Amino acid sequence: MSSDPIKHSLATQNLTKAFGGVRAVDNATVSFHEGKINALIGPNGSGKTTFFNCVTGMIRPDSGTVTYQGRDVTGHAPHRIARAGLGRSFQLCRIFPRMTVLDNVLAGVRSTGLVHRLRGAHNPDDIARARELLARVGIEHLERSEARDISYGQQKLLELAGVLMAEPDTIMLDEPAGGVNPALIGRIATLVRELNAEGRTFVIVEHNMELVMSLSDHVVVFDRGRPIASGAPADVQNDPRVLEAYLGV
Amino acid sequence: MLSASRHKTATHQEGRTSSGRSVLVAKLVAAAVALGLVLAFPALAPDPFILSVGVVIASYAALAVAWNFVGGMTGYISLGHAAYSGLGGYGTALLVTEAGVNPWVSMIVAAVLVGVAAVPIGIASLRVRGASFVIVSIALVLILLLVAQSWSDVTGGSNGLRVPRPFGTDVLRPEQHERFFYLFVALTLVALVLWWVIDRSRLGTGLKAIREDEDKAQALGVPTFAYKLVVFVVSAFMTAMAGGMYALWFGSLDPIFQFSILTGSYLVLMSLLGGVRSLLGPVVGAVIVGYAVEFFKTQYGDTQLHLVALGLLLALVVLFMPDGVIPWVTAQFDRFRPGDTSIREVDAAQLAEERKALEEAKS
Repeated sequence: MSSDPIKHSLATQNLTKAFGGVRAVDNATVSFHEGKINALIGPNGSGKTTFFNCVTGMIRPDSGTVTYQGRDVTGHAPHRIARAGLGRSFQLCRIFPRMTVLDNVLAGVRSTGLVHRLRGAHNPDDIARARELLARVGIEHLERSEARDISYGQQKLLELAGVLMAEPDTIMLDEPAGGVNPALIGRIATLVRELNAEGRTFVIVEHNMELVMSLSDHVVVFDRGRPIASGAPADVQNDPRVLEAYLGV
Repeated sequence: MLSASRHKTATHQEGRTSSGRSVLVAKLVAAAVALGLVLAFPALAPDPFILSVGVVIASYAALAVAWNFVGGMTGYISLGHAAYSGLGGYGTALLVTEAGVNPWVSMIVAAVLVGVAAVPIGIASLRVRGASFVIVSIALVLILLLVAQSWSDVTGGSNGLRVPRPFGTDVLRPEQHERFFYLFVALTLVALVLWWVIDRSRLGTGLKAIREDEDKAQALGVPTFAYKLVVFVVSAFMTAMAGGMYALWFGSLDPIFQFSILTGSYLVLMSLLGGVRSLLGPVVGAVIVGYAVEFFKTQYGDTQLHLVALGLLLALVVLFMPDGVIPWVTAQFDRFRPGDTSIREVDAAQLAEERKALEEAKS
């Protein structure tokens, strides 16, 4: 394995999480390619979101390990994992509804120490960075609006801007194209490509196969809580195990 | 298309800044007038009874602002804040009577001790959210009530604990009321400044994120537990300061009033009524509720009808002003101002002209 040129910044070993009798994630050993756009696909209920939650610390796994950039982060609090450089979005877009668009992004500022934390949130440095990110996702004209007042698609873009504010190396997106119109899907795909070209690793859960196949470099297919196939998009697409899982043939 | 929208934003923001400045001036003038009226109150009060009502309201204001560190910033509703004011009161009284410490030093030392005690209490209670947190907060105040009633060697039990007057016996009641009125106003101002500093800081943004969506905040890297604990301890400390000051003013403590869920409920009602998201919300709420409590008490005497009246007041607020009085008033003013996200239609010629003017202004 030492000759393997592919680097794995994020990996799990025998990760398991059961809810009652249901093993949502079942002994999953997965690794994602650093600097690439990785996709995690699978039928509904195959454990993708639970896997996401275990990796990002939102749920404590029953057993197994999660390593990020060589460090064991299993069971760490979500904020520690986030600060280690792993950012995430949520399946049903989650923003801070009663805060302004600008404050939503400012909430992602990485703070250290008491003095740093007592600095005004609306300081020129943070605001300049937040505006830059809002401009990047194309919603800078909405910065004063309350986040609950903007459209769902704009909220998705806002969520991404907030995640970027925390300066993650790896970004996990849970269904970025879910419930948004085709034009916006195109915009999100372009953003992901640009951010990836700047060196960020992506792990994307997505049901839109067209998007997955055109966007990703590496695909992992989940079924019943564990990976059943992985590889380049074209290879995975024709894998009989994948067809069986999806179509039952 | 892109430059057009940018351009629109630029002119829009310039317009906002000038209107923002006039709003700020109006707010400062209003604050100065309000502060002037507050400071003039003891001179305007017709009799010592009204003055004493003023002291009660000022003490409520200090308590409500202290409560709002947790309630307003994190959205964790504590019904048991009387625990901290009561402990502050008893701590102050015991330090004065048993250890002979200076009353003001006693007040501060007692508040610091309550702040220290709030660390393990916070670690235990802030693990649960929503209704569970409310129940835990009530449990604490009930436990303290039983302890204070039973441990009569120390607390005097239901016979109460007498606290000597800090200004000596030659200062008469009305003058004592006046001095304490100013002391409570000063304490409220300190709490307001502290709340403002936290509210506008990065810590404050993190806390508001917790109020909105705690999991999401954590996923963004906000150390939610530590943040909650910090404001919880600050809140307990400020509440204990107000409790200690109350003990020195009132001169006698009874567990049934000191560790009362009703006090905690009043603080919640005041903050909700005024508006938990705004700096002065709890103060406005304290004035309205504090006055209402005293008014209903004098109207209905010792019956429980004043509680019914307060319940009705709460129902009205929740129904018609769910965000509180201050946001409601602000919203009425905002109706007459241009909206934040107005989409103004312009034709091509107009746009070219405006862009030209902007370029000229730049060069």
